[in-house]
Amino acid sequence: MQFTSESVETLVEELAKLPTIGRKTAQRLTNHVLKMPRAEVEALASALVDVKDQVMQCSTCFVVTDQDPCPICSSHRRSRATICVVEESSDLLAIERTGDYNGLYHVLGGVISPLDGVGPDDLRIRELAQRIDPSFPDGPSGDGAPDAPSSDAAPDADASDTDAPEGDDAPEPVPVEEVILAVNPNVEGDTTAYYIAQLLEPFDVALTRIARGLPIGGDLEYADEATLARALEGRGAV
Amino acid sequence: MTLDSLRIRSFRAHKHTEVAFAPKVNVLVGANGVGKTNTLEAIHYLCLTKSFVASNDTYAVRQEAPYFELEGTFSGVRSRPMTAKLVYVPHEGKQVFVNDAPLDRLADIVGQLPVVVFSPEDHALTAEGPDERRRFLNNILSQAHPAYMNTLMKYRRARKQRNELLRQYRKKPAPPPEALLAPWTQKLVQLGSQVVARRQTFLHTFTDYLQDAYERIEAVAEEPTITYDTLADVSTDEEGNAEAIADAFRARLAEKQDHEYKRGTTLVGPQRDELVFRLNDLEVRRYASQGQHRTFAMALKLAQYFYLSDTLERHPLLLLDDAFGKLDTERTNVFMQLLQSNDIGQSFITATRSAPFAATVPFDEANHRLFQVDTKNDAARVRIAPAHADVSA
Repeated sequence: MQFTSESVETLVEELAKLPTIGRKTAQRLTNHVLKMPRAEVEALASALVDVKDQVMQCSTCFVVTDQDPCPICSSHRRSRATICVVEESSDLLAIERTGDYNGLYHVLGGVISPLDGVGPDDLRIRELAQRIDPSFPDGPSGDGAPDAPSSDAAPDADASDTDAPEGDDAPEPVPVEEVILAVNPNVEGDTTAYYIAQLLEPFDVALTRIARGLPIGGDLEYADEATLARALEGRGAV
Repeated sequence: MTLDSLRIRSFRAHKHTEVAFAPKVNVLVGANGVGKTNTLEAIHYLCLTKSFVASNDTYAVRQEAPYFELEGTFSGVRSRPMTAKLVYVPHEGKQVFVNDAPLDRLADIVGQLPVVVFSPEDHALTAEGPDERRRFLNNILSQAHPAYMNTLMKYRRARKQRNELLRQYRKKPAPPPEALLAPWTQKLVQLGSQVVARRQTFLHTFTDYLQDAYERIEAVAEEPTITYDTLADVSTDEEGNAEAIADAFRARLAEKQDHEYKRGTTLVGPQRDELVFRLNDLEVRRYASQGQHRTFAMALKLAQYFYLSDTLERHPLLLLDDAFGKLDTERTNVFMQLLQSNDIGQSFITATRSAPFAATVPFDEANHRLFQVDTKNDAARVRIAPAHADVSA
């Protein structure tokens, strides 16, 4: 379709790049923006820029946060022996909402998916291993590509270690005892979990995966067959 | 299960058609190209969200119409009549509604409204390449066991991911590192061996259904058998054992490893499965006569019908698209008797002449109904034909 204004066209195209937004929705949103008071548009625009400028990633667990280390990593009340591995920050928030988990987290930033061009080195998998064993080498894992910056791989003075505040309020480091894999139960999530399990096998940590099955409050008859089959597979004694 | 009424809007030859069907035999008579097959296709779309003829959804939309919409009212699925509606909008996709509520996934309807089709294209089942036979296998298993379809879709996804990884390393001097490939291989083997085990278990029981079906339509005492040719030597004499198959799968992958690196794709798995059909010791694909091909394909479809019927405890809809054109009178009569019996539920038949059916089916409108399909104002029209009238094109 032909636009009569280049700035309208630009906005539509930018909005259409967002996930779940198609061209039609982008046009509808653009029309709405055109009708909004200038003050509101400015508030929206600065909120967008602020989120980019002020929000950072925790250098330990890679959750999006306003401070580094994030409130979870710097909390004294949390058990530091357990790390729950999730795909995205939003998954972390979902688990936090349960209020039942008292350990730390590690946000991978996605899952391994060759079709999307995502390999283990594009995720925070090596950083996870380094949290368990700080001597875990930097650089591409197992690829053996010659372009790996191997010069600073050997020393133990690891970047994330020096970043940690050394003040009184920094919690004591504790050896990791358990890694809980809370990735999504689909093909890519399963494969990523398997990759991590292989990688962490040499270390003395318990590896667990969150259970799959029926949702609480759900009716058996409304559960889809795959979930039910899975739940039957993982049945336990009463 | 019965389809009581069908509404078709902007689908192929149909502009706007509404038909009320009889609970047993429904015969649609008309000239070629007026929309008889399209009516069966519409039913098939409602049951399985796709056509039984290979074709793009886009071409199913009537010319100059923005979308197509199909709606059927079914009895015998739930305690109350159930309406299923399918809407397809080009470039936006398909959506299925059950009793007006949209389904989360299209696949959720598969198996709820079982359907079996006899069509002239069944010839490919016994005469052409192995993908036709795998499609047949997938069709039955998906309708009978929804978890199978889920596993199969996940298997395809894992294979696609693994292929992509192999492809990315094809032109490189070294093969993909074990640490990268092993997780995909593991997933491939886990899902693939479940698919094979499920197929093996199915074929174990299905052979009996096939032999029974063959006896019903063929007087000659020939014994039909199916040999399952998959990644390992598995016999259909026993049920599938996913663990043993997984071991064989891994061994085959290890053998083919260098070939996989060279070709940049997965070379082992159920995507290469083959079914070998035999009559006594004669391999149907290579040595059977035209008549034997036809009988074997019909027996397969009939066996599919009885298998689904028993597994789902519900009679599937039976669609017979131009299936009697090449059958002799005697066999047509045998088949028509079967369709009227209690072994078969509701059926839908297309033909160019009503003559072969008028003699054997009492079109009294209570159980059986004869329809005339023709073209009016450039669109298909389906009307009830007067009973006992010799309708022909």
